[in-house]
Amino acid sequence: MAKKDKLFQTPKVPWKKDFKTNWGVYLMFIPIFLYTLVLHYVPMFGIVMAFEDYDINKGYFKSPWVGMANFVELFSGSDFPRAIFNTVVIALLKCTVGFVMPILFACLLSLLRSKKYKRTVQTSSYLPNFVAAVIVCFLVQEFVKQDGPITLLLHHLFGVENSNLLADPNPPTFWIIYLVMGIWQGIGWGSIMYVAAIATVSGDLHEAAAIDGATRLQRLTKITIPCIMPTIVMMFVLGIGTSFAAGYDNILLLYMPTTYPVADTIYTYTYRLAFAAGGARDYSLSAASGLFQSIVGTILLMGSNYMSKKASGSSLF
Amino acid sequence: MALSWKSTPNKKNVSKKKHNEDDRISTMIEHPSVGDRIVDVIVILLCALVAFCSIIPMWHVLMSSFSDGQALLAKEGLVLWPVGEFNLEGYAHIFKDTSIIDGYGNTIFYTVTSVALGFMIAAMGGYAISRQTRLKTPMILFLTATMLFGGGMVPTYMVINALGWVETPLALVIPGCTNGMFSIMMMNAFNSVPHEMYEAARIDGAGHFTTMWKIMLPQAMNLGSVIILNSVIAAWNAWLPASIYVPRSRHLWPLQLVINQIINENKDFLNSANPDYSKYLIQFAAIIVAAAPLILLFPFFQNKLEKGVIGGGVKG
Repeated sequence: MAKKDKLFQTPKVPWKKDFKTNWGVYLMFIPIFLYTLVLHYVPMFGIVMAFEDYDINKGYFKSPWVGMANFVELFSGSDFPRAIFNTVVIALLKCTVGFVMPILFACLLSLLRSKKYKRTVQTSSYLPNFVAAVIVCFLVQEFVKQDGPITLLLHHLFGVENSNLLADPNPPTFWIIYLVMGIWQGIGWGSIMYVAAIATVSGDLHEAAAIDGATRLQRLTKITIPCIMPTIVMMFVLGIGTSFAAGYDNILLLYMPTTYPVADTIYTYTYRLAFAAGGARDYSLSAASGLFQSIVGTILLMGSNYMSKKASGSSLF
Repeated sequence: MALSWKSTPNKKNVSKKKHNEDDRISTMIEHPSVGDRIVDVIVILLCALVAFCSIIPMWHVLMSSFSDGQALLAKEGLVLWPVGEFNLEGYAHIFKDTSIIDGYGNTIFYTVTSVALGFMIAAMGGYAISRQTRLKTPMILFLTATMLFGGGMVPTYMVINALGWVETPLALVIPGCTNGMFSIMMMNAFNSVPHEMYEAARIDGAGHFTTMWKIMLPQAMNLGSVIILNSVIAAWNAWLPASIYVPRSRHLWPLQLVINQIINENKDFLNSANPDYSKYLIQFAAIIVAAAPLILLFPFFQNKLEKGVIGGGVKG
């Protein structure tokens, strides 16, 4: 790629000539420029409302400036720190248990002998990825309600009380439900990267190990996993980078006022402050809460990108 | 260059190699021991379990939709076969209830318009930043920065409110239609088109738009179709933008929001004075009708989407 870049790099032409020859190219950049400017950059400047007592009728320029008061209010209450705690817990679960499951699944698939069976299992495991969030959350409600299939299974196996598990305000029920839901949705789709990585592992290594008498399990732990380690590290680092920013909107469909203590995250808190029906519609406080999440998310993303560059030489940016 | 969103080089070679290695492993001479056989059985069973768990929830909904409402409410646990007498009352209700049909129409409209518009914008942008111009690096940086930091929910809402798009279809078509990442992916796709093609078209007098549309885009459609497919899936399944931007205009609601409403109404179903049990079935029938198009179509695009995950790093 770098070689090609050099080959076709035009020497620095004067600006006037550049515009004369490339005005058509610049014209084609205008739609995405306007789109990005209005819907990404203008909102970035709109963040000033987090430092104002924003009034939707007065706008950014006339609303009174209050400095850090919104943040003080957020952190002095109990709801926001609770939301941070829940976000961190859910992010940690996603980055550990939720991260390992697709790798284990890919390893399982690699141990299958029948190609046809492997393909069938893979195809079925992709299905949850195409089911809409609203439907997935309905399925969760349906399966863990009183007398729901999962509730009954747990009731008979472990003697868990037969009641609506989603209404349980004690940790860690909700966290586990949300984690399992994420795994169910992502195990097949998330394994694609690893299945592809495993497929590129050299067959010579496997053959040599087999001749030396290594069992397939030994070959899995001593050959396959070390060989796909770069992919695992890269995905792990990216997973951390995006863990704080995405994947909390489904909680809006699952939580209820009684489970706020375990289910409320920064994202849902931000949403509820601004848009919940019959809510306070405190836009400034909501913007402050959203800004906090954006900043932490950006720091994590840049940090993980830097680590990825150091560890494997590949990076997102 | 600081920015390098490298696509996997020589995807064809990789897949070819994959087949060879696979064949070799499976044809490798082995003398499976008893332990190997046990491992085989365990692996097969575990894989079957994953496949079973992936499919069974939707099967449960499908069978529930064919059940008898009253019997279904009393039923505990998994519905593996229609409960009570087989009937299609739930589906009959869909056609009586105009909100579901309207929602279906709205979803189709939002999906088609936003994907078409978004792909046009992303493709044109991607073409612009793939050409050698003096503003190339600033343009790429301009788009990359949006992936790092965003304004957030409320400031974005304020902009869309100021544009007067709240409670109009525009708020569901334009804001989410594309993003900087798609443009950068298209840039990679255009970069891999042979330069000679571009030069030939330009020398023959084709303008930039014609060159992109007629010459470059057909060759970049490998990655382009992945972007389109992912956009379609995302647009079809979206519910949050509608709940933020058109909460009060029920005639504008997409299917997902309508279904969410039905589910919520059915939550305290038994508390209603004189329940019509067949109404309980609507949610199951509506879910099947909403999910069917994607689930039936995705096996045809499975290979493309898989390649997209491996090559482009798109999260589906």
